[in-house]
Amino acid sequence: MLEFRKVTKAYPNGPIALNDVTLSVSQGEFVFVVGQSGAGKTTLTKLLLREEKPTQGQIILNGRDITKMRAGEIPYLRRSIGVVFQDFRLMPNWTVEENVAFAMVVVEASPRLIHRRVAKVLELVGLARKAKQLPGKLSGGEQQRVALARAIANQPAFVIADEPTGNLDPETAWGIVKLLLEINAAGTTMLMVTHAKQIVDSLRKRVVALEGGCVVRDEERGVYHG
Amino acid sequence: MFTMVKPRTFGYFFQSAGSSLVRNSWMTLASIGTVAVALLVLGVFMLLAVNVGAMAAQVEEQVELTAYLADLNNQQRAQLEAELKAIPGVALVTFVSREEAWQRLLEWYGDDRGFLAGWEDDNPLREAFALRADSAFRVGEIAAAVARLRGVEEVIHGREIVEQLLAITRAVRLVGIGLMAGLALASTFIIANTIRITVFARRREISIMRYVGATAWFVRWPFIIEGLVLGLIGAVVASSVLAWGYYFAVRSLAAAIPFWPFVAPWPLLQRLALALLALGALIGVVGSGMSVRRYLDV
Repeated sequence: MLEFRKVTKAYPNGPIALNDVTLSVSQGEFVFVVGQSGAGKTTLTKLLLREEKPTQGQIILNGRDITKMRAGEIPYLRRSIGVVFQDFRLMPNWTVEENVAFAMVVVEASPRLIHRRVAKVLELVGLARKAKQLPGKLSGGEQQRVALARAIANQPAFVIADEPTGNLDPETAWGIVKLLLEINAAGTTMLMVTHAKQIVDSLRKRVVALEGGCVVRDEERGVYHG
Repeated sequence: MFTMVKPRTFGYFFQSAGSSLVRNSWMTLASIGTVAVALLVLGVFMLLAVNVGAMAAQVEEQVELTAYLADLNNQQRAQLEAELKAIPGVALVTFVSREEAWQRLLEWYGDDRGFLAGWEDDNPLREAFALRADSAFRVGEIAAAVARLRGVEEVIHGREIVEQLLAITRAVRLVGIGLMAGLALASTFIIANTIRITVFARRREISIMRYVGATAWFVRWPFIIEGLVLGLIGAVVASSVLAWGYYFAVRSLAAAIPFWPFVAPWPLLQRLALALLALGALIGVVGSGMSVRRYLDV
């Protein structure tokens, strides 16, 4: 469902962030993307969300080359991708419920659907009872669950988790990873960018390792260090 | 593209714009105030122009000329009357004796005639022929012909006054438009700045909107509405002040300057208010549009 074909991203007057990357991810896969800071992981995410365009190459998602999309199509691309970030990116003055519903308000879902779906995803992430609370009252792990609930509210076929456990202690991190696995098991393709060696090593999922903008390793049932 | 938003979503947009307006209440007040002042100035000048114009129109409709005479004997006067009647375009010639002129003057001043007391025995008025032109357009040419006749000392007609009034109307309009252009520009920038601050205050929300796939117009609408609301409220304030001020001014001035044909407040004020609302809306939308284009990278 996702294909990088000879993708290169060079910033003007800067280093080459991605160098001739070719990568293919099938529907329903769970993929870890690992690598040092500056290896090109963030660029990968930005290219997928069309925040940036590659210098060369094609990125095919669901049969469409997203590098050739017009500006007006980009919002619809992003609706098909759920994103979770290390820093949660929640609105502090909105309740948990409002934060999740926002993703659906923005795509103009009907109020009834929003109501139903928000309740469902909050149940899924185990926060149904905290729906009316503000994010500030929640722990880091809970906040990331809210962000995850928001990411899947529009039922995307594809979720990118960019260092989702980076700010969490190991135990909480495992809770989030289990949720990601559950969502993946329900059919959602999952791309998790991470530094968490322990998690990668114990799950033995597919691992794509980046170094200096190149894919240096791509293994089924891989580990953090090759 | 921008119409591709479901109607119910506008509820969200208005709510969103409203909360911004309340949160930045000082900027909101400043913006509304500037728009209101700009539109108020424009409105005052428009009302002035309309009223001076009305006076000009009234004077212009008067087709009468007055030819003041030198001392003439009856024969000379009769000859002059025949000459006057012979001028093309003259419809009616009436002799006004000094006594009649005096009576007219008394009538004109009505209850205020008191200050004329004592003059009646030493009537300072001159004999005259009152002429009526068959059309207002010929008054000027008739006046010129009359002035050339022997025995006519002076010709008075409305044309000169009309021209002066029209010149004043033009000047009032020009000054009004000039001031307005400057003030409109200033208020546009004030609104643009308010929206810029709002965009900055909501940058977090905006970035989330982009990640979850909001269209560019979905992100823009609340800011456009915010600008629109600022412009419209400014226009409402200006219109209200103008309406109140005009009623008040006409009431007190009508007594002081009874001969001035003040334009009735209705429907003049309604039209003015509509014009100001349209202009306020334009200022608001252009102002927010400037900031949305510059600072909202969607």
